[in-house]
Amino acid sequence: MHFEYHEPTSVREAVELGARFGADGRFLAGGTDLLIQMRRGQLRPRHVVSLHRVPGLDAIDVDGAVTLGALVTHRRLEREPSFRGALQALIEGAEVVGGHQIRNVATVGGNIVNASPAADVAPVLLALDAEVTCLGPGGERSLPLEAFASAPGVTARRPDELLTRARFARLPPHSATAFLKAGRRRAMEISLVCVAARVTLDASRERCLDVRIVLGAVAPTAMRARAAELGLRGQPLTAQALREAGRAAAGECRPISDVRASARYRALLVATLVERALARCGERIRQAA
Amino acid sequence: MGKLALSLTINGESHDVLVEPHRTLLDVLRTDLGLTGTKENCLDAECGVCTLLLDGMAVNACIVLAVQCRDRTVVTIEGLAVGAELHPLQRAFIDAGAVQCGYCIPGMILAARAYLDENPTPSEAEVREALAGNLCRCTGYQKIVDAVMRAAGAPAAAR
Repeated sequence: MHFEYHEPTSVREAVELGARFGADGRFLAGGTDLLIQMRRGQLRPRHVVSLHRVPGLDAIDVDGAVTLGALVTHRRLEREPSFRGALQALIEGAEVVGGHQIRNVATVGGNIVNASPAADVAPVLLALDAEVTCLGPGGERSLPLEAFASAPGVTARRPDELLTRARFARLPPHSATAFLKAGRRRAMEISLVCVAARVTLDASRERCLDVRIVLGAVAPTAMRARAAELGLRGQPLTAQALREAGRAAAGECRPISDVRASARYRALLVATLVERALARCGERIRQAA
Repeated sequence: MGKLALSLTINGESHDVLVEPHRTLLDVLRTDLGLTGTKENCLDAECGVCTLLLDGMAVNACIVLAVQCRDRTVVTIEGLAVGAELHPLQRAFIDAGAVQCGYCIPGMILAARAYLDENPTPSEAEVREALAGNLCRCTGYQKIVDAVMRAAGAPAAAR
């Protein structure tokens, strides 16, 4: 692990360095993925551009749309008071990542750019229809998070671009989110399966106006369970409807068998977690009323 | 790339070191500065034995580059006692019999210290969660949790 080290003090300087080094360079944020991959020899960048002195990338802005700077840590997400309530899933997704030592430094941008199929925060952002913004020498571009990751570790970010933020619209009234994760133990665990759900009910809180169901760790990237979503839209959130949604999602997912769990077990977990996450959304909407 | 001259503030003292950029804070503390209280084990940020405080926050020193610590404050286990006076957490670990082989203990104490700074009156469940990133392979978790509760001044009945 030998490289030249750079410590820009502005976004502009960081992007200039990123453009100069291209695929030979890597941006360093929390280091919880990058430095481990480098030590193992899986990545050998010749230039490391540390972002820890770059101001302006660590803000959570909740005026109008919600904007998360790329350097917002999981610790900050967990403790953000405005996420209590409808955006609870962001807290739930952040607080199950690693231990405190990891969450104190691991960033939202890193979680997105690393594009692990088992990422925990990225599925929540997908359920919120988030878009991400990249800044490169040619300027800024935004794209839906759903179009960003295409395979494990592979994203639409060009080597000379810096992911600067994720952004999503505030939720309409009668909305709630929930995040559930299954692992072999409660803490410090990579998800066997995780599920992020968002539900918006109509004014009478009977029928489902809009729903997102996102599955993690059961496909090369986090994926929306579109058939399950479609089956729920316009329907009352009955126990039967939730069970069917879980079954539909289990049919859509494409898990693998590995050392952590078999594909069959993962599909069973999907059915159960989707049903529970949707039920939790329903409870939260009714409680908030 | 050559070495970089750095000034690191560790336990309130300034140390000048000359290090290559790939050297971790853990490595520089142990190898260059002889501060071996911070332990080395998995190097994957999984086990927590290298936990120290960086600007007051618990971090794994195996995934922090030394060069990133310029102008920041590092506290290691060597910096907790004041003279001969042990830190209350150190005293509580001894009194609770929480130390077996001892290898995980510096990291446990510093993770606990960061957490108690934030939440001085935790529940036992909160302490367990706060120490989730620290493994003890002697599996002496109960007494470790007892020690942290003792340091937090929790009455025995509440433990």
